[in-house]
Amino acid sequence: MMKSSYQQSLLRSNLFVVWNEIVKNIKTLLAYPTIIVFWAIFPIFWFIPFILQGQAFVGGLESANFAQITGSGEYVPFIVIGAILNSYVNTLLYGMGENLRKEAYQGTLDYVLAAPCNKAYVLIGKAISESLSSTIFAISQLTISVLLFGMSITLGVMVPVFFIVILLILGLYGMALIMAAFSLMYKQSYDLSESIGYIFYIFAPVRYPIESLPTWAQIFGKLIPLTYALIIVRSLMLLGTDLSTVYFEVVALLIIDIALLIAGFYLFSWMEEKTKKSGIISHY
Amino acid sequence: MVIDKEGEVFSIQTIDLTKRFAKKRHRGFFGFLRRNQSNNKHNDVTVALDKVNLNIRPGELFGLLGPNGSGKTTMIKCLSTILIPDEGRAIVNGFDVQKETAMVRASLGMVVGGERTLYWKLTARDNLTYFASLYKMQRGHAKKRVEELLETMQLSDRADERLEDYSTGMRQKVAIARALLHDPPILLLDEPTLGLDPNFSRQIRSQIRELSEKHGKTVLLTTHYMDEADQLCDRVAFINNGKIVAVDTPNRLKAMVKERELVEVAVYRPPADIERHIRSLLPEAEVVKLIPGDEDEGNPSRIKIIGGNAEEHVEKVIDALRQKNVRIGSLNVGVPTLEDVFIKLTGAKLTEGGM
Repeated sequence: MMKSSYQQSLLRSNLFVVWNEIVKNIKTLLAYPTIIVFWAIFPIFWFIPFILQGQAFVGGLESANFAQITGSGEYVPFIVIGAILNSYVNTLLYGMGENLRKEAYQGTLDYVLAAPCNKAYVLIGKAISESLSSTIFAISQLTISVLLFGMSITLGVMVPVFFIVILLILGLYGMALIMAAFSLMYKQSYDLSESIGYIFYIFAPVRYPIESLPTWAQIFGKLIPLTYALIIVRSLMLLGTDLSTVYFEVVALLIIDIALLIAGFYLFSWMEEKTKKSGIISHY
Repeated sequence: MVIDKEGEVFSIQTIDLTKRFAKKRHRGFFGFLRRNQSNNKHNDVTVALDKVNLNIRPGELFGLLGPNGSGKTTMIKCLSTILIPDEGRAIVNGFDVQKETAMVRASLGMVVGGERTLYWKLTARDNLTYFASLYKMQRGHAKKRVEELLETMQLSDRADERLEDYSTGMRQKVAIARALLHDPPILLLDEPTLGLDPNFSRQIRSQIRELSEKHGKTVLLTTHYMDEADQLCDRVAFINNGKIVAVDTPNRLKAMVKERELVEVAVYRPPADIERHIRSLLPEAEVVKLIPGDEDEGNPSRIKIIGGNAEEHVEKVIDALRQKNVRIGSLNVGVPTLEDVFIKLTGAKLTEGGM
């Protein structure tokens, strides 16, 4: 009984850490009013050029050749899904490293590290707040797609889609921990995040089907969690399948998630220890 | 708590605590190719803490004094688990800093780096609530404690304003409130009055004294303000180049130079060789030290002479300064301060770089 009450209070205090980390990040973000403009306007700019380019190439919003490869001739929803899921890559990979770098620069990182709470909950809070901004971005993009391009969304399919987005976020969270670890050691992870972001952009089927890549590149692309998330979400939303049809991709995504999370936690703890020994932890 | 062989109890104990840092050298773009050319590894290492042994008693207000770079902040960071020592041990509230980090962290509140270490885009209330969560406080308890501390620090009226609109002194008060959130038995305060105006400095000093005297907190205070340490601390340790050079009460430390007379002359634009020149004229003086001032800011340089006959020194010093055409601002024959003790012990002054 005592143990259970202790565990409940421990769980509550850990959730309080996660909650306050989210509140802190969101309030800090909202302290800069330009961010609202970014969320409202940027989603339109991101994918309209690709849609216009597609229209110019195929002379409409559908393509028979595209249907042969993907099973659906409509390329607008294809691009929108690519843009939305890729935005999670951008915010989590850049966001986590940058967030820790800012903490080090502000001098607050020492206080976070010297507090008795489990740092994993602080990092989870950071990841959730980064994902929240992506989700707002995604909602803006979906709304624009429905209003401007007549994209239809079946609400029933959103539950499994949401599940897959969570799985994607878990894998990206592992990668974000790796970025955060580099940020602790080298005080910036922007170049590495940028490089990984581009690799994802090229080798994962963000703007084109994976079949458009050469065979070797397709094999490489299948090591990226975003690839599986895109295949699954497009299958659910555009082809009307269910999760059982894409169970192989779901399992693959889960395995990659676990590997990335283990690697991320291990690397972060190792880098934290290393930087505390070398004194680099207090540099900025 | 740590109990030693004689049965004495300590809140903080360090045993041969050592911390070294690799010196960063910029070797240019292809520097990595030349990386192994250095044969002397000792030249590439800075010893920030060199076998430091300290015993701080419960409820004691203990000052750690030393110039910039002497190892004060490194000491605080090792005690607070931010840095891992290379050798030796540190025990805080009975817990080993390397083996029982969570317990050490829960036993400590710290003010390191001052006002810069808060979230300026958040309000004082938001800042304190956030840090309360990191100390595993429950929501209800955290809320109550935050209100209490805002009240104690006289910040309740402006608790919902962002810190970017606060003055330096107010932000420092928030930093101190943060250290007290979980009511720790031990406080590590690193230069808590640095950069504050006299009014806020006085308020912060009074709060530190109250924390020690009324609330029984053990306080480790680092500072290079001599008067602050003299006024506040029960005992003081001098640290220079990572080594503890003396530990005692301020009065006993001052007694080390008390029987000696002290002459202090404020001068403007002294030539570089003035210290050597005066020393040659006063062979019986134990210490002759030129402490450069900032004349643009209205602080003249000072020449301190300790030991020998002050009356005789005065005449000779005035003559020496006239010979060198140095303008004299003031001349005092006075009581030694902790700074004079530090100068006597190390030959350095507290406001100059140690390493």
